[in-house]
Order: sequence, then structure tokens, then C-alpha cells
Amino acid sequence: MSGEKKSPYIVPIGPTHPALKEPVMFNFEMDGEMIRDVDFAPGQVHRGIEWMGMRRNPVQIVHLTDRICGICGVSHTLAFSRAVEQVTGIEVPERADYIRSIIAEFERIQSHLLWAGVAAHELGFDSLLYLTWQVREQSMDVIENLTGNRVNYGLVQVGGVRRDIVPEQHRIIEDCLSAYEGALGKLLDLFLHDKTIAMRCRDVGLLSKDDALKLCTVGPTARASGVNVDLRQDYPYCAYGDLDVRAILPDQYAGETRGDVYDRIVVRLLEVGQSCGIIRQCLSEMPAGEITAEPKLAKLLAICKKAQGEAIGRVEAPRGECFHYVLMEGKEAPASWKVKASSYSNLMSWIPMLRGEQIADIPIIVASIDPCLSCTDRVAVVRNGSPSILTKDDLHRLSVEKTRRLQQ
Amino acid sequence: MTEKVLSPEQVAQVFREKFGAAITDIRITERREGVKKNPNFNIWIDIDRSILNPAVATLIDIHFPHFAVISGVDTGDAVRLIYHFTVFYGHPGAECTVSFSVNLPKSDLSVPTISSLIPGAVFSEREKQEFLGVRVTDIPDGRRLFLPDDFPDGVYPWRKDETGVSDGMINELWRSKRPTDRPAPPAAEKELCELPAEDVAEKEGSS
Amino acid sequence: MKPTPSFNRSLWVYHFNSGSCNGCEIEIVATLCPRYDPERFGIKLVGSPRHADVMLVTGPVVKKMKDRLLRVYSQIPDPKVVMCIGTCGISGGVFFDSYNLEGPVDEVIPVDVYVPGCPPRPEAIIHGVVTALAKLERLEGGSA
Repeated sequence: MSGEKKSPYIVPIGPTHPALKEPVMFNFEMDGEMIRDVDFAPGQVHRGIEWMGMRRNPVQIVHLTDRICGICGVSHTLAFSRAVEQVTGIEVPERADYIRSIIAEFERIQSHLLWAGVAAHELGFDSLLYLTWQVREQSMDVIENLTGNRVNYGLVQVGGVRRDIVPEQHRIIEDCLSAYEGALGKLLDLFLHDKTIAMRCRDVGLLSKDDALKLCTVGPTARASGVNVDLRQDYPYCAYGDLDVRAILPDQYAGETRGDVYDRIVVRLLEVGQSCGIIRQCLSEMPAGEITAEPKLAKLLAICKKAQGEAIGRVEAPRGECFHYVLMEGKEAPASWKVKASSYSNLMSWIPMLRGEQIADIPIIVASIDPCLSCTDRVAVVRNGSPSILTKDDLHRLSVEKTRRLQQ
Repeated sequence: MTEKVLSPEQVAQVFREKFGAAITDIRITERREGVKKNPNFNIWIDIDRSILNPAVATLIDIHFPHFAVISGVDTGDAVRLIYHFTVFYGHPGAECTVSFSVNLPKSDLSVPTISSLIPGAVFSEREKQEFLGVRVTDIPDGRRLFLPDDFPDGVYPWRKDETGVSDGMINELWRSKRPTDRPAPPAAEKELCELPAEDVAEKEGSS
Repeated sequence: MKPTPSFNRSLWVYHFNSGSCNGCEIEIVATLCPRYDPERFGIKLVGSPRHADVMLVTGPVVKKMKDRLLRVYSQIPDPKVVMCIGTCGISGGVFFDSYNLEGPVDEVIPVDVYVPGCPPRPEAIIHGVVTALAKLERLEGGSA
């Protein structure tokens, strides 16, 4: 065995992992325990949404966009509605802008807490998973109180929102925010001051600022590498223009930016705190007025039917920039509709991140860009021509074992 | 790469001066939201495909852009691709989107790749290849992205002509097991599988 | 919940995503969290179909996933119960016409319990799993 040059093994992973819009099929070229190269192929969840959208009217499409992704549902609805409003020239009332911002921030909070739990699970800290998801349940209660459902809110419609936030609901929101601001200190302590998490996450999955720019990453993945990009700061939409939001970069907390998994945890947890502040400010400054420019759907459809032109709607989803381009040409259905989810841009950053890393680090690195849910499924390892199958349990077990080794 | 922030009119001026006649049209639109009504700007530039790479290089000189996506539409006898970029992120309130529209006649559906300047664009270019039938020359990796491998060749889902999705390919899920001897909605209730008579727990549900 | 004499082991659940939006996934994982806590009944999520008794399928079946769904279905040992979570798998939901979808789940594999909702609440999912449990008991009682 010694003295021979071992040829690299190819390890295919996937595709059944409930991540992204598309569970991804990976192929790793291994050199012992180290990854030499990565190749991946998405496409497992391609449902033909844009094609379906070109056969329906904008009001129906809004309900379709809610279900593009379960975790960042509001972002897609918001981006699409804003694009259609710009084409048709509908002026959204200011109260609706503030309500949209509030619900977008709540979605960000619950998404980041979900991700923190998933990251903890991938590292082997199941108790942290349960703790974070228990904390998240309180925001789900508030969201249910405001919108009527825990996931797929159905709150946003072209021209405004469908439900109002009445003063009786302010108390529940306020309770949740103060509970979160108290819990945030504890969460930061648990995640960031733990020695094992630091050992697992520091200098793992590095993405340099140059790579982040060239591969067009967005959201917390880009911010953790030092790129100062945040739509709420640069291209303020809805109520953010009045609020003066600043992007959170890891050097505000840790003093330096390294672009590894640890920095991504820092950015996301700090954003939870930022969102609480934003919601509070929105609630106190919310202007009175209408909640939608056109409550009657038939009239709304008539306006959309006469519209001509193209527009872009961009929104800062929890994972990054969500981009919708709509072209309407006087018919009921849009002539062209392009959706870019935030994970679409972040996918290519897996390649430089995974090169040179160990197989036990695959789950946490893949999860660190937050591809909508958890990770990979089955790993087939081909060693000298005889395949042996590792299941998701095995891959997860490798990751957990590494943690236990480090803890000793 | 200068970090000076230009206004949208100045950006448009840079392009007009550099490329002159190859630019067919420049439009600037804006949108104002919130109570303070701060404006957000979009710049739309129609260019010829021969100056696509030089135009992107000029944009990189102004400020390394963030490439969002390429959108495409079938306009009858041509396919129009729009490359969406954003510049001046990092400066609060100053970001503007820049969109290059390239018109490709259906007789010659090829466009040069921009992945030498912006490596992250490969994904979007692959997607356009399989959805619109556009050929991207010199693309480093031209495999299919989202469509399954056994999807018929020559069918491009976003095209509105004969190469689009034919009616035979559409699967209407709502028709599955719907009774056919009555008018479409309302349909009969589905037969439930036989449940035992005992009232098994609603109790665990309450938190 | 009244355990019956033929109930002799905990229910292990395997989850398969055939192309869903992840809304149902989140609700399934939320069901396993301390708030609803079905683990006190022994219900847990397993990583391999060969250990499972109940299979949860979410999503309308995307063409690429059809073969895998069939393969996973055949890997689960009898007696098994298949549950279809969410309206996508029942009738397509909002994706009611598409060129890349294979059809509702019961056109690919036989389904025993349907849990409608978009996404169904955790309480509804638990009710569905308990119904599946009752059906499994009857199947085992019948074959024993």
C-alpha cells in the first residue's frame, strides 16, 4: 500500500436532502480524508414555477411565490409584488410598507434561529437544537397571531397587505421581543464562547473576500467574508429607508474578519438582535392609513391587465438578496418572470469552501451557507472499486465523533 | 477600481461616451417608498451583443458589480437576454441596478460568455442554455443545470414558439382520481381510508 | 393514546422529500421539538429506510425523484404505512400543472394516510402519525 500513489476516490452525495429549492447531488474527489475537488448538480426540485407563472395572473402568482420556499416565503412574495407595483404604477400606502417590514423581520428572526439549531445539530449538540427551536416557537406564535399561519403567511398582496396590525397585538409582539433580547445574550454565550464550537468552526470553510465577490455571494455568507452588502442599507425598500439599517459584519463583534463558519454564526445571531430593534422601531413609528391600495381583487386584476413595462423587485431575504424580474405586456399573465432565490447565488461558493477540508466537516460547511434546511442524505464511498454505502446517519456520526474527539 | 460613488446619470454618461452607437437606448427609472420616499434607481441599457464583454469590463472599472441573474424572454422572432448587475453596494442608499439588454435574433442564438470576468455567472448562463436554447460560446461548463437528463432535446420551456413545452408534456395533477361523471369542481369527497372507531388522540396536539 | 396488546414497539419514521418547498419539512422537524415532543411516545426520525415503520412523503413528485421514491419505498420492510404530508402530494396544491412533475404521490406509490394542509400544523401531523399507528396495529394484528 505504501509507496503507491492512491488514485482519488469519487464520493457521490445526495440528492435526497431537503435543502434549498433544489436538493443537490454532490460528487467529491477524495484524497484520503481530505477533499480535493467538488462537483455538484442541482435540479432535483425543479417544479417549473416560472413557466407556471407565465400562465397565471399576478394575484395567483403571489400565492404561488409563497410556496417557492417554505422558510423565506415572504421575501419572494414581497419581491414579486414590488416588481408588479412598479410596472403598474400602484402606490403602496405607507402603513402597508411598515407592516411588510415587520413581517419580513419576523421571518428573518425565525429563519436564523432555525438555522442556528440546524448548525448545532450538525455539530452534534442536539440539546442546543432543541433549545433554539423552543426559543423559536415563541416567534412562531406571534407570526401566527399576526398572519394566521406558522409558515406560508399569505399576508402580502399586490398593492399592500391583507391584514392589519391592531394595537391589541402590540403587547404580544412586545413580549416576544423582550424575551428574545434577553435570550440573545444566552444564545451568544452558548454558541460563541464554547470552546468546542470554536475549534470546529474557526478556520473551517474559508471563503475569501475576493472569492465572495467573484462568485456573487449574497447575504450573511458574503457579509461574513467582509463584503459590505445589505439591501436594507444600500437599496432601502419598504420602510427601511426611514430606519437607517447598517450591515452587520463580523469585525464589529470579533474584531477581525476571517470568512469561516464561525463568522457566519456571529453574523446571523447578531442579526436576530438587530431585527428585534427594527421591529420595535417600526411599531412605534407606524403611520396610520390604508393597508392596501386596491382592496378589490377584480379591480386590481384589471389594472394589471393594462400594464406595460418591466421592473425589478429586490428584497433582503434571510439568506441574501432575492430578485424578481417581471415583464408585462398588456396581457393577464406576465410575458416573462425570472426568480432568483438567494441560495441560487450562494451555491457556487461551496466549491472553494469545501476544497481541502475533511469529510467530517462536510455537514457543517454545507449547512453554513444556510441552504434552506439541513444537509445531505446518502454517501456512497468507492474504495478501490468496491462500493460501500454510508447513510446520513454515518455522515452525521463522523461529524459528531470529531466533536467528541476535540472535547477530550 | 475606483470607489467613487456616481449618480445614475453619471453612470449612464460614462457608457454613452464609451460606446456611442452600439448602445441603442438608456433609461433610468426610480421608485420611492416609505414615509421619507427616498428614491431607488434602475438603469436599463440596450446594447449590441458584440460589446457585452467590454460593457461589463467598464462596469467593473466603475465598481466591481454584484451580478444577480440573467433573465430571458422570447419576443417572437428574437430572444432578449437581460444581464442584471448592481453597483455601489456598501454605500447606504446609493446602490443602483444596471441591466444590459441584448437582443439575439432566432436565426443566430449565440452570445459570448462573461464568466472570464465574473466566474459566478456560469450558473445563470447554463440555465439560459437549457431554458431558451441560447448557445453561450466558450462557456467553461455547459451541462444541464435544472432540467432532468432525460428531458427531450430541443424543447426549451420558456420559448413561446414550437420549441416550447407542448401540451402533451404538461401533467395536470389536479385531475388525478377526480370523478369524471360530474362537472369539474365541485368534485365528490375522497373516500377516506378506514379509520378505527376509537377516538385516537387529539390530546397530544395541545401544547 | 391507548396502547393495544399488539403494539410492541415504538414507531420509527423516515422522511422523504420528493421536491417540496420545505414548508412541510419545517413542520415535521418542529413536531419533533420539545413543544410537541412525540419522542416521549418513542416516535423518532431515522436516517435509513430500512429501520423505518412509517414513511412520510412531502412534495409533488419531481420527475428526477420518481425512481428514488420507488426505490426507497421498496427498501422499507413490511408492514409499513405511507403518509402523504401536505397538499402538494395529494393533488399538486399550487403546482397543479407542470411539465416536470410526475403527479400526486399516490400515482407513484400506494398511500395510506393523507394529511392535508399547506403546511399542516404539527398537531395535524401528530394526528396523522397516530392514525398510521392504529392502521399499523391492524395490519400487524391481521398478519400475525
